Amino acid sequence: MKKSMYKKFQKIAGKKNCFVNPEELSGYCFDAFAKSNAFPEIVVAPESPECIPEIITLCNEENLAIVTRGAGTNLSGGTLPFDGSCVLLTTKLNKIKEINKADHYAVVEAGVVTADIANAAASAGLFYPPDPGSMNISTIGGNVAENAGGLRGLKYGVTKDYLMGLTLFDAEANKVIGGGRTVKQVTGFNLPGLFAGSEGLLGIMAEFILKLIPPPESSKSMLVTYNDILKACDTVSQIIAANILPATMELMDNFTIRTVEEATEIGLPVDADALLLLEIDGHHGQVEDEFDKVKSICKKNNGHLKIAEDEDSKNKIWEARRKALSSLARLKPTLILEDATVPRSKISSMMSSIMDISRKYEITIGTFGHAGDGNLHPTILTDKRDKDEMLRVEKAVDDIFSVALSLGGTLSGEHGIGTAKSKYLEMEYGSGTVKFMKNLKRGVDIKNVLNPGKMGL
Amino acid sequence: MEDLIKELKELEELVIRCMKCGTCQAHCPLYKKDFFEQSVARGKISMIESVYEGNLEDASRILKYIDYCLMCGRCKNNCPSGVKTDEIFLRAKSALRKVEKLPSWGTFVLKIVMEKPELLSKLSPLMHMGLKFGSKQVKADVFKPLFGLYSRNVASIAKKSFSDAYAGFHKAENEKFSVIFYPGCAVNYIYKHWGETIVKLLNKLDVSVYVPDVNKCCGIPAATLGDMQLYAKMVNENRQLFKNFDADYVITCCPTCAYGLFDMGEKVAEETFDKIEMDILVFLKEVIGLSPKQLTLEKIALHIPCHYDHSKDTFLKDLIKGISDNFYELKDQSCCGFGGTFNIKNYNSSKQIVKNKSEEIKTAEVEKLFTPCPGCAMQLTDGIIREGGEAEVLHPVELIYRGLIDSECFRR
Repeated sequence: MKKSMYKKFQKIAGKKNCFVNPEELSGYCFDAFAKSNAFPEIVVAPESPECIPEIITLCNEENLAIVTRGAGTNLSGGTLPFDGSCVLLTTKLNKIKEINKADHYAVVEAGVVTADIANAAASAGLFYPPDPGSMNISTIGGNVAENAGGLRGLKYGVTKDYLMGLTLFDAEANKVIGGGRTVKQVTGFNLPGLFAGSEGLLGIMAEFILKLIPPPESSKSMLVTYNDILKACDTVSQIIAANILPATMELMDNFTIRTVEEATEIGLPVDADALLLLEIDGHHGQVEDEFDKVKSICKKNNGHLKIAEDEDSKNKIWEARRKALSSLARLKPTLILEDATVPRSKISSMMSSIMDISRKYEITIGTFGHAGDGNLHPTILTDKRDKDEMLRVEKAVDDIFSVALSLGGTLSGEHGIGTAKSKYLEMEYGSGTVKFMKNLKRGVDIKNVLNPGKMGL
Repeated sequence: MEDLIKELKELEELVIRCMKCGTCQAHCPLYKKDFFEQSVARGKISMIESVYEGNLEDASRILKYIDYCLMCGRCKNNCPSGVKTDEIFLRAKSALRKVEKLPSWGTFVLKIVMEKPELLSKLSPLMHMGLKFGSKQVKADVFKPLFGLYSRNVASIAKKSFSDAYAGFHKAENEKFSVIFYPGCAVNYIYKHWGETIVKLLNKLDVSVYVPDVNKCCGIPAATLGDMQLYAKMVNENRQLFKNFDADYVITCCPTCAYGLFDMGEKVAEETFDKIEMDILVFLKEVIGLSPKQLTLEKIALHIPCHYDHSKDTFLKDLIKGISDNFYELKDQSCCGFGGTFNIKNYNSSKQIVKNKSEEIKTAEVEKLFTPCPGCAMQLTDGIIREGGEAEVLHPVELIYRGLIDSECFRR
């Protein structure tokens, strides 16, 4: 980068917040999906949202594309930089500006860590439900850009369901405001809806207004063991068909159970073919009532139900689930976490197809995930240096997507498209949709400077 | 340079386990201060990869970043994929140090502290005098140097080192066990009274204590400065020395020394170790069966050192809770920010990290802060004084010993 240009960035964001040394840049050439060989030209970390339009203007003058990056935990390659890009790091925009108890909302900057919002809400006696697996690290800006989900998606929805309003800067550095502080608001386009899942392609988001809700009065956690995983899947579909919405319904297959138990010694039943981890919450009466119904559905499917009697055993159940990905990760050097999602009634067909695919390509797949919302995470364990196996893995991934789509599902439930799944986008939505998205993108970003190429756009 | 790249490539087996999930961000004291990838394990690992993947031309330039690390081990302890970050960074530094020379203070530490402990012992009266006259006293036994860039509030340096004063065999009257006590440099020169208390306490509890003639450094400063050979030499010399004593246990009171000699030490040890290594508090509980109760009415708190054996965290917390009914649990459970050689290189960062905890200790009006690590004690003493707090920083044995004496007087 030319010295004069570097100086201009430093003038905007401060000397200590601009990086151009290759060593420093190498810290931003990856996200949780992959690592690229291309480095950005510069990394700039503004400490105030007011700097963002200045950075955009400068990038426009200097012909630099902008890749917005929060904690860089996304699982689809959406924040991977490329030659001639400027990484705009939001981690220093981390103020929680307001928790409004009267009107049940929070105003936060884009770089606030998700868990900090949840904790601040809890201290005020309120509840921010979206709980993506990386919530202790991920920023809210990233959550909105990817429309992140989590364990509670089934009953409480995902990030978009809590996004009331936002402030962003477009490709021309104009300040754009969407939504607001009221429950009802139909002034103009529904911009919060458009920007949830926009993956940094339409604008640079600086601030959000998030909906908070009253927390549930009580909850009950339980663990159900099965000797046939398909029966566990049937249980999930039947619970939903009985009009019961548990807060979470998580599934673990035998491979995952054994791996988690080996790593943590929590005391999981290693002989079980599958486990369901359930939590019901709400008013006391409702919890008791729904629990009885869930119990009988589990029994009908030969599931053995054990309830967590105290906080300690409750924590153990959720610890087991939280450790699933990490325990699997220890087995092989490379882990490929898939995210294909199907309608909930199709969970059991999806599960049996995953097992077939694993056998067909002779690869190891551990499956766990948010069964309750049809969002399974088949996790492929491999070694990226094994070229032959990687080819089979690629084919297996293609098959997983095809099956999910044929069951009326989607490529991605919560991880996004990024670079990882861009080639499949047309497969799901058709060429007309891709063209529409392209036109939309070109309409607000004529020169295609905002995260160009991601989602194939 | 080719050798260097080859040596870094040898780390691939360890490095490849990192899936870049970013969990280390939530635990890294430096990331929480800086918010930059180059401060945290994931970013540093990416630098090492980028070197052997051929994407960074001047490999030697990554040393500065790898070196900017407290070695607190939080990234390793919390890593979902079990990446051995400590081993990766120590080995990478050792490879990189072959092309980047140490600054002169680093050479001094390695030459004098490591290789000439006898000389350092002889120098301690001089340093004691220097500190007495070249500084101002801020608290009983805490001084602030008047000259130089290093403006830390420091505990005084002993006139005579612990080893010089206590070398030899301290036999208990009704000997039930015999142990070797390894003081480590910080106790040898600065927290000498911890060592004295431990010897007296053990004797009272029918434990005979061997104190080696010379305190050989555990080698950790060599490792963190990138000299793995010297580190291995120190570990092996110490372990060889312990072999000469007829004792079952080696007792330590510095968790970093224990980590250096035994935990990471296993990686560089030439022989298996025939004795059991134990922190003094764990020994008191698990071998002696001591559970001290109600030793003070004051408001107390606990800082758990990063290198403490974390399988004993609950035990440690329960022990401290038992000492006073007025126990305050610190919300800030972060590293104190000391990091041994880190704080010499990055005193400003180090100060920033301890600030929050020191403020909390002051606001909560904690009167006694316990921590079983001399490094943490030094850092927290400095931090608390800086914030104008009143808390006294102690090793738990200080109160346990006093309690034991008092109860004996009472019984009589």
